Amino acid sequence: MTAILRVESRKLVRGTAILTGLLVMLSAFFFVVFPSIQEEAELFEEVYPEYLLDLLGIEELHTIEGFVGGYIFPFIWILLAGIYFAYVSAGMISQDVRARRMDLLLANPISRESVVLQKVAALWVPLVSLTTGMVAVLLAGATVLGEPIDPVSLAIVHLLGIPYLLVCAGIGILLSAVVDRVETAQATALVLVFAFWLVDGLSHMNPDFEWVGELTPSRYYDPSAILVHEEYALLDAGILLVAFLVLVSTAVLVFVRGDI
Amino acid sequence: MPTIEIADLTKRYGDVVANDAVTFDVESGEIFGYLGPNGAGKTTTIRLLLGLITPTSGTAEVLGADIRDRRALTEAKASIGYLPDTLGFEERLTGRQALDYFARMRGDERRDELLELFPPPLEKPIETYSAGNRRMLGIVQAFMHDPDLAILDEPTSGLDPLKQDRMHAFLEEERDAGKTIFFSSHVLSEVQRVCDRVGIIREGKLVALEEIDDLLQRSGKQVRVQLAESVEEDGFVTPEMIDVETVDATVRFTYTGESADLLEHLVQYEVEDVDIGDPQLDDIFKHYYGDEPAEAG
Repeated sequence: MTAILRVESRKLVRGTAILTGLLVMLSAFFFVVFPSIQEEAELFEEVYPEYLLDLLGIEELHTIEGFVGGYIFPFIWILLAGIYFAYVSAGMISQDVRARRMDLLLANPISRESVVLQKVAALWVPLVSLTTGMVAVLLAGATVLGEPIDPVSLAIVHLLGIPYLLVCAGIGILLSAVVDRVETAQATALVLVFAFWLVDGLSHMNPDFEWVGELTPSRYYDPSAILVHEEYALLDAGILLVAFLVLVSTAVLVFVRGDI
Repeated sequence: MPTIEIADLTKRYGDVVANDAVTFDVESGEIFGYLGPNGAGKTTTIRLLLGLITPTSGTAEVLGADIRDRRALTEAKASIGYLPDTLGFEERLTGRQALDYFARMRGDERRDELLELFPPPLEKPIETYSAGNRRMLGIVQAFMHDPDLAILDEPTSGLDPLKQDRMHAFLEEERDAGKTIFFSSHVLSEVQRVCDRVGIIREGKLVALEEIDDLLQRSGKQVRVQLAESVEEDGFVTPEMIDVETVDATVRFTYTGESADLLEHLVQYEVEDVDIGDPQLDDIFKHYYGDEPAEAG
């Protein structure tokens, strides 16, 4: 019973290849500017108001760990990859329903639960590709710059980043099941992930509103803490995984009961 | 036991009643025609039968599975073939890949035999297919797992006449082999040719359920006669002619009798041209099922 998984995985290959290439290239550009940022890191940290550094999650900018955790990951992994996962997932059900592919698919002796789960499972393609690409470019970049990066922390920062992306996918798949119009589902998913990222950053600036940030998925994934302080927040990753499971289960419930 | 038992099946979308207490059975081993104009609710019934949409009230059993029981219906689908009116394939896949895809979910023991009758270009991506090729691929996927019941929604639309005939012959063979065919169409002549029994739906309501022979008698022929010179209607018109319209030397009417009698009658006149065709579905409704369905207005 993996027919859908196979076809869905194949459908994701093209987009994944483009995304991975793009994000790897962006990371490479970041590395090119790192030496000059490193020289002026102290100035940076003095000149920029503290809230801006907080907003971007920047610490220890002069170290490679601080740079990767504070610059590359928030932007590439949390924002761009997060948006991709939410956007792609938001099309998974709604597009098939719109194009009447779901009619043919559900004429098979396959449960609706299985259809959703196999579609979500197909996200292994971008997960593996993105992780591999990022590990490769980060190791290569650190080596070229002569700034060794702890391989254990590097592995953990990717591993704990996966639940975050899964939550983004969960947001997408739920929208895909709830919203009829493909465009609405995908645009909402995209905007939501961006808004969560922004709210998480902004909520640090005002202690009164800090709690709002706790509702955003990126609060539970802190690349800087992992890379700079070697703090592995396994509980936070667990919370993200639970959130992912809740989102997918809700999507399944909605899809199983709804009309196609 | 009937293969499909439909009881008071109703589907509402707000104020619109797409299916209104539809009730009928499809017996095992027959070709049942589900006839109605576009938008009458044929596809709604079919999508209800497949569990794609849930009924507002009433229910149906398909191969013994209640359509409200998702698990039972999912299992029954291993023995159901479905040809939708709109064929949503994975466009990037080639025809062969699409068939492989469905085969992994429900088998394909009859694939080769079907591809000889209905051969789409298997190595090309489906996005490049013509309407006819899409339809052929749809027919192959609907029958390749040798289903006991085939549910076909406008199965010959897009097919060229040769392939349509081939499809009709194929359906008769399947019926003779004991399979049940549920066949929706808005083309009366097609239903007349292949179906054993017919249910007629209009504006969501089942307005008639009859043996095909009865329908044939009721339906009549659409006739246009071009005479050499205009004639008196009184002498020309016989009781079997209804809805007579005369313009100059051209007479149009619906003929409810035997074709042979009509030809015998016409040879008495100087006829330049005769055109005998199937009546429009709407005309049948007008004459035999009342002009307005109870719901309308």
